[in-house]
Amino acid sequence: MDSHVLGWVAVGLYAAAEAYTILSLIRSRLPALPGPILIGAGLVFQFVDLEVRARAMHSVPYKTIGGSMSLFGWMLGLSYLALLFRHRERAVGPFLIPFVILFSTLGLLLPQAAPQARPDTRGAMFALHVTFAILGYAAFTFSFVLSLLYLIQNRQLRKVKTGLLFSRLPALESIGGMIRTSVSIGLTVLGASVVLGVIWAERVWGTLPDAKLGAAILTLAVYGFLLWKDRRGWVGERVALLSILGFALILFSYTFVNFYFSAEHAFK
Amino acid sequence: MSISQEAKLSLLGWSFRGAGVSVRERVAFTADEIREALTKLSSGGVISEGVIVSTCHRSEIYSFVADDGARTALTRFVSEWRGLDQAELEGSSFYRSGGDAARHLFRVAAGLDSLALGESEVLGQVRQALSLARESGTTRAVMHRLFESAVAAGKRVRTETEISRHPLSVSSIGFELARKVFGDFSRHRVLVIGAGETGSLFARHAVEAGVREPVIVNRTLSRAQELASGIRGRAVPWESLAGEVPQADVVVSATSSPGHVVTRPAVEAAMRERRGRPMMFLDLAVPRDIAPDVSEVYNVYSYSIDDLEEVAKENRARRAREVPLAEKIVEEELETYLAWLGNLSVVPTVIQWRNHLDHLRDLELERAPAAERERLKGQLDAFSSRILFEPMKRLKGEGDAARKLDRVEAVRHLFDLDKE
Repeated sequence: MDSHVLGWVAVGLYAAAEAYTILSLIRSRLPALPGPILIGAGLVFQFVDLEVRARAMHSVPYKTIGGSMSLFGWMLGLSYLALLFRHRERAVGPFLIPFVILFSTLGLLLPQAAPQARPDTRGAMFALHVTFAILGYAAFTFSFVLSLLYLIQNRQLRKVKTGLLFSRLPALESIGGMIRTSVSIGLTVLGASVVLGVIWAERVWGTLPDAKLGAAILTLAVYGFLLWKDRRGWVGERVALLSILGFALILFSYTFVNFYFSAEHAFK
Repeated sequence: MSISQEAKLSLLGWSFRGAGVSVRERVAFTADEIREALTKLSSGGVISEGVIVSTCHRSEIYSFVADDGARTALTRFVSEWRGLDQAELEGSSFYRSGGDAARHLFRVAAGLDSLALGESEVLGQVRQALSLARESGTTRAVMHRLFESAVAAGKRVRTETEISRHPLSVSSIGFELARKVFGDFSRHRVLVIGAGETGSLFARHAVEAGVREPVIVNRTLSRAQELASGIRGRAVPWESLAGEVPQADVVVSATSSPGHVVTRPAVEAAMRERRGRPMMFLDLAVPRDIAPDVSEVYNVYSYSIDDLEEVAKENRARRAREVPLAEKIVEEELETYLAWLGNLSVVPTVIQWRNHLDHLRDLELERAPAAERERLKGQLDAFSSRILFEPMKRLKGEGDAARKLDRVEAVRHLFDLDKE
């Protein structure tokens, strides 16, 4: 299974879902169901592919850059389905599914060879810590994309531009609801990931890491502040901007902090 | 369908393009009048099948007629029935026959011949016209197929193009904008300030869009109450306006007030009360009712009549861009219909043509000596077969449906087959 045929089948299904959701935006009378079915089928195939990798590595496949990208793509697909079932808003599909395709494809193209596994990273708690973190980042990625869509639609409304994008994008209230849902998911699972990580680090290292934990807590604080303000009337553009700031912090944590301030906790 | 009908589809009509409202209002038909007119036309032998499409922009009589004087006969009928001057009616009417009449109907159903390009109502009106004709017993298979095909073309045009997608009226555009902020209207509140003509129109549109119990505020409470009772809304006195604004998600204002009815401080106070939830103001009044700086308040969307009319202009251009694609669909559907009709017509025409030549042959044989008849019959049969061979081959092989129908019509005319 080195060729990851199942992974490529999954990417093909995601691409078909993208094509269908674009078509169903143009022809609004097309049934909605084929889109989520294609995504669901892709998730099943990709899961089996990840399972094969996991068996080969004796671990959740986050230890290789390819594996972690695939896992991230799979989590994005899962988050997309969750958003779709919660909000029934298929108009965002064409904007979100490309991220599922992108990361799932990168997962198949990037190196698959696992570095020597550190003995201290074995065990369910560490696996859950990393898996939850990836799911959290997937949800925050969608909140970022949705925030961009919110700002675009908001600008069109302000400038009274009623062209193609205006007619295709959902209502602000609907996008706002999806931002709220994805931030809530991200906050919950990333919070759980941080707690598990802290417990695990205390148990294994006997000390609390590090700049990366600090960045993660800061990220949680930004998104927590966002949800709090959202409930207190900060609805709208400011929430979208805060969500973008939160995502910028995640990127900062994944790059700068990861490589320069986090020797033990680095993901490379 | 009898063979004589196939090339005799005729259309006599009065539309906004050639007939002023003074003519159109006199030739307009109510549903009962359509039934009555069709029955009279049919029983009087003027038409063998017929459908009348009557809207505020057009009255059109589609029929299969027995002779070439359809235009005069139908105009005379309308003139006598309505007591109108025949010359005036004829001067403002238009007439089409055969494929052109069918094409016109398809274009009407597609909204391509409408005043508001791509409007949707006309499709229902065409369907309703067919239904009334069926009730009157003046449609059979071909007319039915013609109208069903026209409705199918109209549906395809609306599904496959964006010709009906972009709203044209100010109130529809206002709701389109509001829908892009709030989504589902059933959970949101609309406040209409002013119960005049514009306010009433908007309030009615709001109810059609799914708004529950729109609130109407007017300086004269009785007018607000009158409007509210007709749309299951709620009328409130003018003095309650300040208290109603924070409750509303969409505020529509159309008063004749010389000054601003809603000011920025009032909106800022409302937004505090609403804890920042978005609000939309649609100002349909001139001079403006809503202070222009209201749009600077966070999460407030405010549009003036000029904004909405600018969108209407853009939408008209967007609809116009869809016309070539819509025309293509109309031609495809028309071709399908005419092909069906053509296939229906060629074979009986050829048989009649052959019978016509056999009849001429028999007339000649009667004058020939009896001993010669058998030999002559064989020669004449071979001769007529040679004459018919090429024209029949060309008639059957014609790929263009409209041309095939025209050629069938030409054969029937030249050999006077309808007389037989």
